Amino acid sequence: MSELTLDASQLNVRAQRKPRSLRLGVWLAGTFLLLLIVAALAPQLFAHSDPLAIVPRDAFHAPGWGHWFGTDQSGRDIFSRVIYGTRQSLLIGLAATALAMGIAIVLGLTGGLGGRRTDRGVGWVLEILFAFPSLVLALLFVAIFGSGIGPLIIATGLGSAPGYARMVRGQVLAVRNSGYIEAARALGHPPLRIIGRQLLPNAMRPLIVTLTMGVGQAIVWASALSFLGLGAPPPAPEWGTMLSMGRDFVANAWWLTFFPGLFIVLTTLSTTVVGRYLQQRLEGRLS
Amino acid sequence: MSSATLGNPLLNPPRHQRLKHLARRASLRLAGGILVLWAVATLTFFALRLMPGDPVLAILGGPSGNPTAETIAEATREYGLDKPLAVQYGLYLVRLVQGDLGVSYSQHLPVTRVLAEQSGPTLELTITALLLAWLMVLALTVLTAGRRRWLGRLASLAETVAAALPHFWLGILLLAVFAFGLRLFPPAGSDGWRTLVLPSVALAIPLAGFIAQVTRESLELTLEQPFVLTARTRGLSDFAVRFRHALRHAVLPGISLSGWAIGSLISGAVVIEVIFSRKGLGRQLYQAVQAQDLPLTIGISLVVAAVYVLANILIDLLYLWVDPRQQEAQA
Amino acid sequence: MRKLAQHSRHHSPRHLPFVRKISSVGLAAFCVLLAGCDNGASTVARSSQPVSGGTLIYATDREPICLDPHVGGDMPQVFVAQQYLDSLVSMDSEGRIGPWLAKSWEVSANGLDYTFHLRNDVHFTDGTPFNAAAVKANLDHMANPKTQSSTAGGYIRQYLGTDLPDEYTAVVHLSTPYAAFLEVLAQGFLGIESPTALLRPRDTNCESPVGSGPFKVVRWDRQSQVELVRNPDYNWAPPTAKHQGPAWLDRIVWKFIAEPSVRFASLQAGEVDVIEALPPESHEAARRNPDLSLIIAPRPGNPTNGALNITRAPFNDLRVREAFVRSSDVEGALKSVYFNEFPRAGGPLSSATRFYSADFEHAQDYDQARAAKLLDDAGWTQRDAEGYRTKDGKRLQVHVVMGNRTPPSEYTLWEQVQATTRLAGIQTIIDQMSDVQATQRQADWDYDIRLGYWNTNSADVLRIIFGSGFIRPAGVGGYHQNTAGFSDPTFDSLVQQALETQDPEQRRALYYKAQQIASSQYLELTTYPQSTRLGIYKTTQGVRVEPSLAVTYLYDAWVNK
Repeated sequence: MSELTLDASQLNVRAQRKPRSLRLGVWLAGTFLLLLIVAALAPQLFAHSDPLAIVPRDAFHAPGWGHWFGTDQSGRDIFSRVIYGTRQSLLIGLAATALAMGIAIVLGLTGGLGGRRTDRGVGWVLEILFAFPSLVLALLFVAIFGSGIGPLIIATGLGSAPGYARMVRGQVLAVRNSGYIEAARALGHPPLRIIGRQLLPNAMRPLIVTLTMGVGQAIVWASALSFLGLGAPPPAPEWGTMLSMGRDFVANAWWLTFFPGLFIVLTTLSTTVVGRYLQQRLEGRLS
Repeated sequence: MSSATLGNPLLNPPRHQRLKHLARRASLRLAGGILVLWAVATLTFFALRLMPGDPVLAILGGPSGNPTAETIAEATREYGLDKPLAVQYGLYLVRLVQGDLGVSYSQHLPVTRVLAEQSGPTLELTITALLLAWLMVLALTVLTAGRRRWLGRLASLAETVAAALPHFWLGILLLAVFAFGLRLFPPAGSDGWRTLVLPSVALAIPLAGFIAQVTRESLELTLEQPFVLTARTRGLSDFAVRFRHALRHAVLPGISLSGWAIGSLISGAVVIEVIFSRKGLGRQLYQAVQAQDLPLTIGISLVVAAVYVLANILIDLLYLWVDPRQQEAQA
Repeated sequence: MRKLAQHSRHHSPRHLPFVRKISSVGLAAFCVLLAGCDNGASTVARSSQPVSGGTLIYATDREPICLDPHVGGDMPQVFVAQQYLDSLVSMDSEGRIGPWLAKSWEVSANGLDYTFHLRNDVHFTDGTPFNAAAVKANLDHMANPKTQSSTAGGYIRQYLGTDLPDEYTAVVHLSTPYAAFLEVLAQGFLGIESPTALLRPRDTNCESPVGSGPFKVVRWDRQSQVELVRNPDYNWAPPTAKHQGPAWLDRIVWKFIAEPSVRFASLQAGEVDVIEALPPESHEAARRNPDLSLIIAPRPGNPTNGALNITRAPFNDLRVREAFVRSSDVEGALKSVYFNEFPRAGGPLSSATRFYSADFEHAQDYDQARAAKLLDDAGWTQRDAEGYRTKDGKRLQVHVVMGNRTPPSEYTLWEQVQATTRLAGIQTIIDQMSDVQATQRQADWDYDIRLGYWNTNSADVLRIIFGSGFIRPAGVGGYHQNTAGFSDPTFDSLVQQALETQDPEQRRALYYKAQQIASSQYLELTTYPQSTRLGIYKTTQGVRVEPSLAVTYLYDAWVNK
């Protein structure tokens, strides 16, 4: 190492006190996510109308007292639909991420723990999946297996799986030769137990951050597919589907597309902010 | 990288050896890439064959076609849809090797011709978006990194928000405000620079947000390095320091992201081309999927995958070339 | 009679869109900063005299699959074809057949032979002269299965062949009398193309077809536009045109812009001169805009509808069919989804069709009380836990099969049908699937309702959509034009007799009875008539819709830019 270049660990990293405004940001993001989860579990607490009730004479009301976010082309209250859509979107995001993680763990463990051959093989599978940009992969999947919430979850999960798999594999490789694993082996613990109790948790810990942000990403991708008409079919109050149905009316009734999109942005923002906060906590940068 | 490491012969083998090493890796990667593409072509072929519904009806103009008996029989024979699956696959591979991607069901044109016509606008869009994104990144990070705290935090917030914006929402908003409302730009079309502005901005902003975050972090770290202090004491202006010295180091993580960035841009192009009614491979792929146009879907997917794989290989090689320490670590 | 303008309906006041508020403030500022804010044409004077020269930019929503209208046969194709093809005969707004490429004709007493005396001064844009051999080549082309002609070929099923006694006389032979033959010959779908061009491979002809019309196709830029230029030799316009000789326009750029809001915004900005399929949500804005004018012309034929499959339960019971139709609040849906811009179509024929009778317009009016009574009479008296009617333990369910390219507004309309039929205790389920799957379900008769429409300038459409001869699958694909599955000998004989006579009064009486039967059997839930809706920017005048199919006709149009 030259004297003119230092790496991050040597630098007196700015272990400054977290400025108050950023702390506020984390609080806001965390609260928003909590509210979202509550809305997903019990939408009736926030929404006062049936998201599917059609009232044609109330069509296209601008946002106002009666309808905070306005009404859509069939007179449905958009605020209620956005709230009920939370359940859909959060469910899809979590399920897709869980699926992606499942695939990633299988692939990553196989690659990281198996011999060179298996590692190459897993590398191949990853290369193939990586050859497509994620939306293109999801489009192909939906093209084959049709649209709907099930294929949507699988397609989104498939899109994010390769990235996670690579990370898991890297982590597994890094962790497998560490001290406590050696110790456990020396103690004669069965391999599965080592994997389950020591290897996996330690390998996964740094990925919690990625997962948190990944849920936000998954929600965006799922919304993109729904927006293209290949995901949750109407009249589902899924945010992407609402955007797609309202797109034709954006010049007359901007509120049909604005609010669902706003919620997607806020969700992604919140998961990113919370994820970064977790990352900094885990790396011990906070004093 | 620093001048000290450059001098060390152990860490920096002579030029022709590096070239040979690089060439070997390049050919290995390329061979691997071709195999990957073959696997991709096979997978997509078989998978799309499993789709429900009769492709003949898709060929004959869809729901308002009202085809007759003889018409349908003709089409089945013409497109070879009555042969067994394995034979169709074999024929398909043979033709693929010869560069014949088949005939699109929905457009009755050779797929290669559709690709030739539609690739231009998409390339235009993605390259413009990438350049715009980098411009925004450079402007934002160089001007605001390491300065007053509130400026940095504001910029950081802007980047986070930008990265969180979904393409489709941003596209619609830009369309509504700038094309419908203010009428500054045309709302549709693929010719002329004016139709390029809104779509590329819609693609560039989220990408810029993402790359800026990484570059900012890297730039701020770099600015703290002692060599920067030395440069400053030698009398270089702040701007020159930032731009000429620090940036080159800070930009490396951003470059490594470029591979992923191209993938993200292609994905975004699908949605953006649909929203802005632009000619291009993205919109074409979407319509091909909707119309269950098998040859066209496979053709576009293959081309996209090929470009993506190639781009990633090139970027990896570029990174290797630029940073010999990487080579050493992998050897 | 044809209506050329809709009555302006009263609207509830609409809030000023958000972006407009911004634009009034911001536009001033922006205009100062940016040159080129002025889109040009802001001080264009409307000229009363046609101006020769200039380019007209036309934007439509759908791209044709092939420019040759003989192949396939979809509406986007005939719209383009109308500009570069001529037909054998013309049809005026009263429904009378007049000359065009054929100067005169005679029909034999048995109705099986049509002798056409053709013009001798016509040639195609590739130099080939127009003569009887050309007519034969075209009719043979349409009837040839290799052409894959669904529409044109379907219309001339009775075609046997053509004799050529001399160069400008063509004698067409039919297998059965077909009074609608001249009517379909007036359509752009059966336009006359150059026989030399027809000899080329089908795909080549799809891309650059050759006709004798006022314009010729130069280039087709897929997904983007078709370019047409003036035919300088044109001198054989039909009597329904407003002038003779070459067209006024130098060039037409026929663009495809699928997004309705984008299409309308392009018109408002003056980026395009004419748009088609003016979105209903923009009609009001178009009317208020002094720079725009509108043409709204209903199309003849069978209106947009959901056809009821009477071959299986629950629609094999007439009472259930009528109850379903009566409990659908289509009027309410049209008010909200289509902004009250589309009138209700209550009968099997659209008002623009020849021999249409208005007596059946109210057979489908919204009447929940009647629906309830009918369902009770039909035995659906039990209700299950969710409020749907049941009989013998089975719930009253109706499946609507919809392809995924159905426009969102259409989907929303049926959503509202779903909501109102629910009040009557009927569970309407909307099954969305890919277009190919939808066609498969149609072929398998596995649907209760299937959406459709049929644009044609003849009341003979009743025979095609309700005649028993069209129940059998059209072929291997299984598609059948008679979606309802209706088969009634009385009806069949009525529509067949209407083909066997040329006397309009007789035909009118026969078609009246046919409409009566179709209406009283509740074979379709008709929603709104198909229409051609054009928005025209101030730079352009003389744009018309031709009388037979209400297709855009740009021969008499001129621009002043």
